[in-house]
Amino acid sequence: MKATILKPGLQTSLQARPRRGFRHQGMPWAGAADPVAMAAANWLVGNPASAPVLEQTYGGLTLRFDQPALVGLAGAPCALTLDGQGVAFARSFQVSGGQVLETGAPKTGLRTYLAVAGGWQAAALLGSVSTYMPAGIGGLWGRACQAGDVLGWAGTGSHPGARALPDRLRPYFSDSWTLRATVSAETDWLDPCSRAALFSQVFGVSRHSDRMGLRLTGSALVLRRRAEIPSAAMFPGMLQCPPDGAPIVLMADAQTTGGYPRIAQIARCDRHLLGQIRPTDRLRLLLRSPDQAVSAWTAKQDLLRQWMPDLDLY
Amino acid sequence: MTRVQPRLLAEDCVEFDLDDLAQIHRVADQLRETGVFEEVVPGLAGVSVRYTPAHTTPADIAAAVETAMSDRPLAGIVADQLNICMRYGGEDGPDLAEVCETLKLSEDEFIDRHAQKLYPVEIIGFTPGFAYLGGLSEELSVARRPTPRTRLPVGSVGIAAGYTGIYALSGPGGWAIIGRTDVTLFDRDQADPFRIRPGMQVRFSPA
Repeated sequence: MKATILKPGLQTSLQARPRRGFRHQGMPWAGAADPVAMAAANWLVGNPASAPVLEQTYGGLTLRFDQPALVGLAGAPCALTLDGQGVAFARSFQVSGGQVLETGAPKTGLRTYLAVAGGWQAAALLGSVSTYMPAGIGGLWGRACQAGDVLGWAGTGSHPGARALPDRLRPYFSDSWTLRATVSAETDWLDPCSRAALFSQVFGVSRHSDRMGLRLTGSALVLRRRAEIPSAAMFPGMLQCPPDGAPIVLMADAQTTGGYPRIAQIARCDRHLLGQIRPTDRLRLLLRSPDQAVSAWTAKQDLLRQWMPDLDLY
Repeated sequence: MTRVQPRLLAEDCVEFDLDDLAQIHRVADQLRETGVFEEVVPGLAGVSVRYTPAHTTPADIAAAVETAMSDRPLAGIVADQLNICMRYGGEDGPDLAEVCETLKLSEDEFIDRHAQKLYPVEIIGFTPGFAYLGGLSEELSVARRPTPRTRLPVGSVGIAAGYTGIYALSGPGGWAIIGRTDVTLFDRDQADPFRIRPGMQVRFSPA
């Protein structure tokens, strides 16, 4: 079964689970920037939580289905049309062979996920089909989708039929985000005023942000100790502080090691939301102890698993 | 026996400082073999472990690190050698002239001294297959460039603060670029795409 990309939008790539277990060889995770929205799109069509999906940044995708399909979209809400007729968001729907699906630009949030019953197909490398564009691996030839690309999906014997996302699986999107966070290894390298500011000031998000990281703007943080560490591990969700004092929040494609101080870590319960923060949004960090962060993660994952038992919140 | 102290990086991530690279890799390999952690990543000064909070605790991981430390290192392993044919200077090494000026060496003197040594792969990090090669002599060492280049071609070889690094992918980089190699260090067409590993010894031969 096949579908053809007519317009790819700003950036659309095939994503699924992270490419885990190879960071010691310098291999970033890749995978959906918002894994909960990916899981929600898959839930709509009866797929496993991390079945391959199309991740769109700022919408704008036009896709022709050459065979009938059950389709679901979740994540940043946007207008949808099927052969020019409006279709409701966050509800799965049946597409007939030859029909063209168009997605508009979201007004809030950044990434919209498109799942098809049976799951998009691509060859796995090192345990994942997720596209990691800098190394040209995964997905469609290791790159973002282009007009004319043909995607296949696996036929499915049975699917749940059309259904709507429950409200609990539809996060509130806005241009202002408050995410829970913990201290990290070098938080105490900040001078006391900057340490306090890190967990109270409202940061802006720079236009120079991508799947590797969000660059934050605001009053510069000041380090009171030498500004570099011997190269050490970096992970998605970590905030590193370069000498200019403008922190970078690392994301799905982030480098595996680095030399800048690690000054905070977005809590595991809220990391999935990083994938929805767009340039010019505002971000505030809410300080939590490690124990509080674990409790919040357990509670959120348990809640999500009532609908999606195989979801891993990471 | 000394107790290792876990340093929390987050509610699901700890780091341990260890004495030397041999111990760092021994501990990292053993922890990874257990298969219970999300990632085990060696750094230049220690090992970081990312884990699922419900499955394990920092104290459990500290105990596993101590067990791994008490294992005797395997003796008599001969490190793999990797010969890397490199074009020094010119278009392939746009910073070599400036590096030589800073170090008060001619380009030939620099190349002779750089190419005569074996460099151990200390860690792989940053992006797939980027090798941190230790052992760059003091007299050849320079600082990072003040402003990183936004795009270096694949195979670029740079130096910075005691290290030689090979960019296995094209991309941004802040090291002083002294040359370039055609040897593929990350081969996406292989089931195991990584051609260079910690513990290998690299020798550069001028093309």
